[in-house]
Amino acid sequence: MKRHILGLTAAALASSVALNSLSAAEIRVGATMRMISENGQKYGEMVQDEFDAINAAGGINGHTIKLSLLNDECKSDKGVANANKFIHQEKVHLLIGSTCSSVSLPIVDVTAQAEVPQIIPHSTNHQITQKGSAWVFRVPISARYYKGVVAKYVGDKVGKKIAYLYASDAAAVSDAEGLQSQMKELYGVDPVYSAQVQEKEIDFRSHLLKIKALSPDAIFIAALQEPMARALVQSYEVGLPASVKRLANSVASNAPVPAMAGDAIKGVFYTAAYSDSDDRPIAKLFNSMVKQRYGISKVDHDFSQAYDLVRIVEIALRNADLKLDDDNLKADRTAIRDAIAGVKDYQGLASGPISFCADPTPECRDGNRTVVLIGYKKGGEDFELGILDRVTMPVEFGLEK
Amino acid sequence: MNALVQKSTASLDALKRIHPLMPWFASFVLLLPLPLLALNDYQIYLLNVICIMIILATGLNIVKGFCGQVTVGHVALYAIGAYTSGVLSVKFGVPFWFCLPAAIAVTMLAGALVGIPSFRLEGAYLALATLGFAQSVEIYIRVTNYLGSASGLGGIAPPSIGNFVFYDYFRYYYLVMPFMLIAVYASFAILRSATGRAFMAVREDALSAAATGVNVRRYKLIAFMLSAVYAGLAGSLFAHMVPGYVHPNNFTVIEMVTLLLMVVLGGIGNIWGGIIGAILVTIIADLTRDFYFYQLLMFGLVIVGTVLFMPKGIGGIIDRYFVSKRFVAAREKTAEQKRAEAAAAKSGES
Amino acid sequence: MLYDFLIVGLSIGILYGLVALGISLIYSGLDIVHFAHGEIFMFGAFFGLVLYDEAGFNYPITLFVAMILAGIMGVIIERVFYRRLTSQGGGYTVAGMGMIICGFGMAIILQNIAFLIWGANGRPMHVNFGMPVELGTITLPQSYVWILVVSVALMAVLHLFLKHTKLGLAIRAVAANKDIAYLMGVNVPLMISLIFGVACALAAAGGVLIAPINYVQVEMGYLMLIKAFAAAVVGGFGSLPGAILGGLMVGVFETLGAAYISGSHKDIYAFLLLIFVLMVRPTGLLGVAAKVKA
Repeated sequence: MKRHILGLTAAALASSVALNSLSAAEIRVGATMRMISENGQKYGEMVQDEFDAINAAGGINGHTIKLSLLNDECKSDKGVANANKFIHQEKVHLLIGSTCSSVSLPIVDVTAQAEVPQIIPHSTNHQITQKGSAWVFRVPISARYYKGVVAKYVGDKVGKKIAYLYASDAAAVSDAEGLQSQMKELYGVDPVYSAQVQEKEIDFRSHLLKIKALSPDAIFIAALQEPMARALVQSYEVGLPASVKRLANSVASNAPVPAMAGDAIKGVFYTAAYSDSDDRPIAKLFNSMVKQRYGISKVDHDFSQAYDLVRIVEIALRNADLKLDDDNLKADRTAIRDAIAGVKDYQGLASGPISFCADPTPECRDGNRTVVLIGYKKGGEDFELGILDRVTMPVEFGLEK
Repeated sequence: MNALVQKSTASLDALKRIHPLMPWFASFVLLLPLPLLALNDYQIYLLNVICIMIILATGLNIVKGFCGQVTVGHVALYAIGAYTSGVLSVKFGVPFWFCLPAAIAVTMLAGALVGIPSFRLEGAYLALATLGFAQSVEIYIRVTNYLGSASGLGGIAPPSIGNFVFYDYFRYYYLVMPFMLIAVYASFAILRSATGRAFMAVREDALSAAATGVNVRRYKLIAFMLSAVYAGLAGSLFAHMVPGYVHPNNFTVIEMVTLLLMVVLGGIGNIWGGIIGAILVTIIADLTRDFYFYQLLMFGLVIVGTVLFMPKGIGGIIDRYFVSKRFVAAREKTAEQKRAEAAAAKSGES
Repeated sequence: MLYDFLIVGLSIGILYGLVALGISLIYSGLDIVHFAHGEIFMFGAFFGLVLYDEAGFNYPITLFVAMILAGIMGVIIERVFYRRLTSQGGGYTVAGMGMIICGFGMAIILQNIAFLIWGANGRPMHVNFGMPVELGTITLPQSYVWILVVSVALMAVLHLFLKHTKLGLAIRAVAANKDIAYLMGVNVPLMISLIFGVACALAAAGGVLIAPINYVQVEMGYLMLIKAFAAAVVGGFGSLPGAILGGLMVGVFETLGAAYISGSHKDIYAFLLLIFVLMVRPTGLLGVAAKVKA
């Protein structure tokens, strides 16, 4: 048996040596995403498929892209390990990651130290771009823009007494606390009720009863898919009237939520970067493509963001002057960073243009500023959405002076 | 193979004869150039992780293996260590060298708190009480804004000595590795001491241990506190390692199971086993990173398989190997003696 | 207001109680804690979903068939994997510790198998029960009535079965001491399988009953399991009426805690109650005296 163990260790060492032999002339890209839950694995597939399509069409200036995809399970230690593996072992030129804000946050420090460009597919937490790293770019919309749009809309159209119920995941916390601070800043109001719940919470009714007694104008729910659906259904069970507006964070756009919540999702509105009911031709094309490829009937904005990310990376790589040999790894990484920073007015699926610039500031690195406000007209498997508003926020919005 | 083992045990004995601490010093010297052999920074990073895991697994072995207390709350102690250190560093700017002892002290107190239920509870009940404790700690961290809640606690400063900052994995190794060696040495020292013997007496039969004058409660408490010291040390070292970020997702039941896997695979109650388990699990988890869909499934299968078919783990096999070695040696010795006696008798006859 | 909170607490508590029933049964019969029970519960819910939504059975039949399937699954798992441990006894023995670790491993295995089969997305189970029940300002889906009726019925049947039938006596004999039960001519391996199968069927009943109000998802088991542990311990580990009572207590306790102390800490209250009960009165409310076995 001991011999087996020694054999195993030897095999381990051998394979890590094998992994280390790198072929040149490839653009190496590493992606770490949350791929065990939600549609996560399909977002990963989409990134993979899109890069494959680029390679099939001749690659980037004659070079193929080699994508390595790893799962971080939304755990920061695993995400950091993945990032280190990509950077130091696979010597990637570009790192994509991650889905969860709590994983992206520490990876920003890793990429900044190792000087590797990092582009973020899904994380919205506002702090990610506020660390002063020159190497990070964000395709999704920062929470600071979301909160501004929601606060303005709510304050103007709904009312100022808002109750908050949010799950303990980094995006939900950032959304809920951002909105609270924005309401305070704009209208000087404090939340009437605010509580955190567990990520997998099953019973929200004690919170909802308390909220009902406070008779707010609106209730903001930020959580993962199943808990969000549960909270919406339970809000009607405890008798919270339909006149209390239900707001949600962008998770509400994920197709399982309306399917699970059924009629309870009617009237819920939320903010996102992309809406399924977008009537631009590119959006219609994209919807039918996703439907055909991944069997998703309604496309949420995580798909569009994954797609936009690949397109932006493609543009940047085409513009970058890459040597792609071992001696120029550092120069290539810098070139890719500068090329991404040079992407201006990218028009893709995102509801507005995406632009980056060179300064290591949130103004430059939160590329996407156009928020769509979406409302549910009908729940169930065949839900319907309507776009309520489309707002492009000023660059410096939501930053502390 | 056998010759190799014999040679190494012989040289170990030779070292021991010079000074009891000599083998440890030798292994320290042997471990020093390890990062230079690593092919890249990622492997050095893994070395650091392995060292932290060894500390953690060794600590769990004290309470679980030596003392036989079924705890599934160890990961909460790890979290307490990490967060104590992190909060002191981030909120108060305390340097690492003060964070570390503070983290150990706080975790030790928490360990005592976990240990108190063990006075009255055993087996399944104790497992549930510690599980409840672990869940409570995780949830408390998640919903407490001061601790960064679900956004995590970031910006924990790397340790430094004067102007020398342990900011990369290469340097950090030289911080973690000595701590790991000291921790392992201490666990051997504990095992050999009167305290260690008392632990084992409690493990084998608490009632007869009490009858022979062992203060069962006291030793249970000590076991929990000692293992908490290890968890606090590991937590603090984890928190301060680049990128200096802790998040409640790092301390969930999955981490607990991974930790259990290390100890079980290595062999409950076997220090070397725990170390081998920590190394193997970290390396295998890394090699199977690409097969993420099946990784946890495999972990589960290994846990179940080990418990069912190899309850003493890898450590048990090693023990058996050495025991049988000694046995064979002893048998050969007696056989030789007999042969010599026979020969002597023969020569006497003639 | 207090009345509303009590209704909420009791209705969620009965869910905990239902899952706790199986846990208590395994503990009373085999003296072990089964950490993979939450995953059996999840499998039961998925069986229900497949039978109801895809195979088109009606709800009571779905419930019954899912219970039988999960029961068979439990027996297979016990026979193939746990037998080496369960035949040695549990509790304070080395096998007891092995069983805890083994249960964790099995939980991970089952969860990942379910993930590979059904994916990670939560799925609704649309069961039309008709009008929900109105209690004051709160409306409860009829599922809760089903849960109440089924769990109390199962509890009563099992209780009577264990206390007043010969087979029940044999099971209790196995629970008390396997070796002596053997000597008395009880078919111990069969009894162990039986206990396990019935407990898994109970878990599946929980899963199918909760599915219409709670969705079916691969990770649904764990939180339920630890709450059910709390319920089982509070009521008295090993006592079936205690499991239901404990479930109600945990539900009410955490709801009132969330209502009057701090909402964000709601999930901690159940564990605090668990730890408190373990420290002050380990036998729980209705528990039999904690057994010490060598």
